[in-house]
Amino acid sequence: MAISASSNNSSRNSKNSADKQTRSSMAAFKFPFALSIALIILSFVPRVQGNPILAWSFWGAAAVLLMWQAYLLFNSRNNNEERAFSILLRPQHYIQGMVQISLYVYWGYYWRPVYDHAWLILAQLLFAYTFDMLLTWSRRREYSLGFGPVPIILSINLFLWFRDDWFYMQFVMIAVGFMGKEYVRWNRDGRSSHIFNPSAFALGLFSLVLIATNTTDLTWGQEIASTLTLAPNIYTFLFLIGLVVMYFFSITLVAGMSAVTLFGLSALYSAGTGVPYFLDSEIPAAVFLGLHLLITDPSTSPRTPLGKTIFGVLYGLGVFALYTLLGAMGEPTFYDKLLVVPLLNLSVIAIDRTVRSIHSAALLNVWKEGWFGGRSNLAHMSIWIVIFASMSFLGKTDGKHQGDSLPFWEQACASDLSNACGRMLQLEATYCGDNAAWACNEIGAHYREGIITESNEELSMAYFSRGCELKFRAACLNLLDTELVLREVPHELDLRLLLREGGQNLMTLSEQELFERACEHDWAFACASTKSPESNRTQI
Amino acid sequence: MSKSQRAAEPKPGDQCIDSALPQAPGRALGLTIMCLAIVFVAVWMTVQSRQQLSQKITASSSSSQQGTMTGFLDNAWFLPDEPLLGFVRIPSGPFAMGSNPALDRLAYENERWSSNRRQGSVEIDDFYIGLFEVTAAQFRAFTAEHPDLANEVAADIQGDMPVTNITWPEALAYARWLQRKLASSADTPAELRNYLAAGGQVSIPSEAEWEKAARGADGRIFPWGNTPSTEFANYGARSILPVGSKPCAECAFGLQDMSGNVWELTRSPLQAYPYNPNDDAENLSEDALWVMRGGSFVDSLGNVRAAVRGGVDPGVRNNTIGFRVVISKP
Repeated sequence: MAISASSNNSSRNSKNSADKQTRSSMAAFKFPFALSIALIILSFVPRVQGNPILAWSFWGAAAVLLMWQAYLLFNSRNNNEERAFSILLRPQHYIQGMVQISLYVYWGYYWRPVYDHAWLILAQLLFAYTFDMLLTWSRRREYSLGFGPVPIILSINLFLWFRDDWFYMQFVMIAVGFMGKEYVRWNRDGRSSHIFNPSAFALGLFSLVLIATNTTDLTWGQEIASTLTLAPNIYTFLFLIGLVVMYFFSITLVAGMSAVTLFGLSALYSAGTGVPYFLDSEIPAAVFLGLHLLITDPSTSPRTPLGKTIFGVLYGLGVFALYTLLGAMGEPTFYDKLLVVPLLNLSVIAIDRTVRSIHSAALLNVWKEGWFGGRSNLAHMSIWIVIFASMSFLGKTDGKHQGDSLPFWEQACASDLSNACGRMLQLEATYCGDNAAWACNEIGAHYREGIITESNEELSMAYFSRGCELKFRAACLNLLDTELVLREVPHELDLRLLLREGGQNLMTLSEQELFERACEHDWAFACASTKSPESNRTQI
Repeated sequence: MSKSQRAAEPKPGDQCIDSALPQAPGRALGLTIMCLAIVFVAVWMTVQSRQQLSQKITASSSSSQQGTMTGFLDNAWFLPDEPLLGFVRIPSGPFAMGSNPALDRLAYENERWSSNRRQGSVEIDDFYIGLFEVTAAQFRAFTAEHPDLANEVAADIQGDMPVTNITWPEALAYARWLQRKLASSADTPAELRNYLAAGGQVSIPSEAEWEKAARGADGRIFPWGNTPSTEFANYGARSILPVGSKPCAECAFGLQDMSGNVWELTRSPLQAYPYNPNDDAENLSEDALWVMRGGSFVDSLGNVRAAVRGGVDPGVRNNTIGFRVVISKP
């Protein structure tokens, strides 16, 4: 079979049959059949066999696909119809796919579960290709076989995986994504096109369901959002791979403007309140990833420079607002970057209409007139590079961040700065979850004292118990006497967790370096002495 | 001509095929299926997550419904069917704490009172201590109300076996729970109720309370006297026995299994003698290590003496470690 690769969208609708070779016979069914069988074979790898529900998820998905094929085959024969596919390779698919794979490789090197997840991604790809093909054939259309499902699956898996016991939901999520692409459409510029970015549609819908049913813990969403930063210099890495996508697909205005909006809003908030808006950085790494790879689908974003600018700004505003809204609702804030995309996709026509209603040529062309001899995207990229370099120079991307420092939040809380106490509790709860015993004792003490938060003896006991099991003596004594609040400075192991600045635990750092780093983070006891931290006891 | 039209293009000579072809499934059908899939996901996830929780609760409550156990009250959290629900009063007064190597040749160095004294005299107020170690049935009655802990105690353990594989905070949590139950129940014996009302608290024993209860005021090496005996204690053996399997009328205060069967957690941090309950909050920078007493079924004679002091991390679960409860005034 000859393969013809087309380099731009125009070739998609090419009437020239020489551009692509079509396989159109009953033999075409061999392809989805082979993929379904491959899915079954994949279920026998040890990674999948380790969990019976996971294995059954694979078999269930394959069974559905096989039954669907049998139905289509039966119908085709009865009606003397042909099902066909042609090969069509589009750069926006394979370039985006390669960029995503490079991210998986880099991230997985520092967070092992990513590599362990590779078999499951492969299974999702097999499922996605088969599902997409069968869906297209059910609509009596010819299927364009290329790399289309690859960026969709890789994009979904950059944000949400269901745990093994619930993995069948991952297949349902993919199915919903493709059905959204097929069925939820509108007429844009005289052409029928899908409204939603398929991966963002599935992610957004499932995020809503997970929030509504309070079942976030069935997924790896929280872990994914927080482990990206285990890879050193992740912002620089995302920036660099983002440049590739920007160069090929002219999405610089969307990604750049959303980043600039978020940086700007964070800076404004920080200037106004004295505390950072996001806990771990100026823009959380997962949001930075989202603005490069989740909202930049050209089919579901505006096409004019001004429209792209508005789209990017709205994404920044949306994430910024949702972060607070989700936090206020007590929901995980990592959903912020996912929930806003479908809403933005829905606003694309309104944005296009707004832009068209502007009759000022100067305004419409503000981003491109005369720049780089008309190669406006390169001009946009140059500006973006300067902005990112400036942010990095100011320490707003990779590296130490003010929000990483617990003493900073303690001070801010004591000074009654906006929401600082809530953030401190949130941060301590996270570190307690990471097995930092000191943090468990601190948060237990706050719930017992009832000064910066409402007193809650049950929660307090739960945190003291955890701190005690982690061998923090003060926490054990607090468990014994409900009238007592004993505090103690972090132990060495605690510091190795507390000072990681979003990166990996500092298990190999020497004690001397550890205490120096603690001192840099404003831990006064570490500055005073590198070896004999003094206790600080309070009794109520 | 659109792609879909091309795919269904009639073949030459096939005049009627176009009208004979069924219509492609419409968007309405597809949208309906998609919406149904989303609703299914929402309902399924809600149901499944609730089911998992209720399964946990059912598992723990069914494990608490353990029927009647001879010698234990199934309507009183499986406490012993004894006048004081299995609590034995230990009178106030002094006792000799620590070991005298001249009398006890198996004594360890950490049992020495100080550099110039072998033993110390400690005076403690009266208190109540459990006749037996806390059993699996008793602990299950607690976990039945705390489903989060239900998985931590194996459901197939016989009800009258001492509970093991519990952490130090879990033992304390059980004690706090029992305190609430005893304080609020009208069936609690008046003597205990009055003691609780006067400030008594259910907890695990301090090591002084434990040692006094084990060896009495006469400083014996083993709870039953100074001569080793496997008649009164389960040690050097292959398995744990149900509580009270080695009755010991000769033992101080008639308590059973103080030696052997399972190590018993105390609320005292492991630190050098002389014993002083007021110095527990010192050395906070050190890792927590708690005293456990009495030795277990796998230990040899040297570890089941009344004065022996073991240490355990508060987060450790082990099948040789359990606990018993006391009611004492802090």
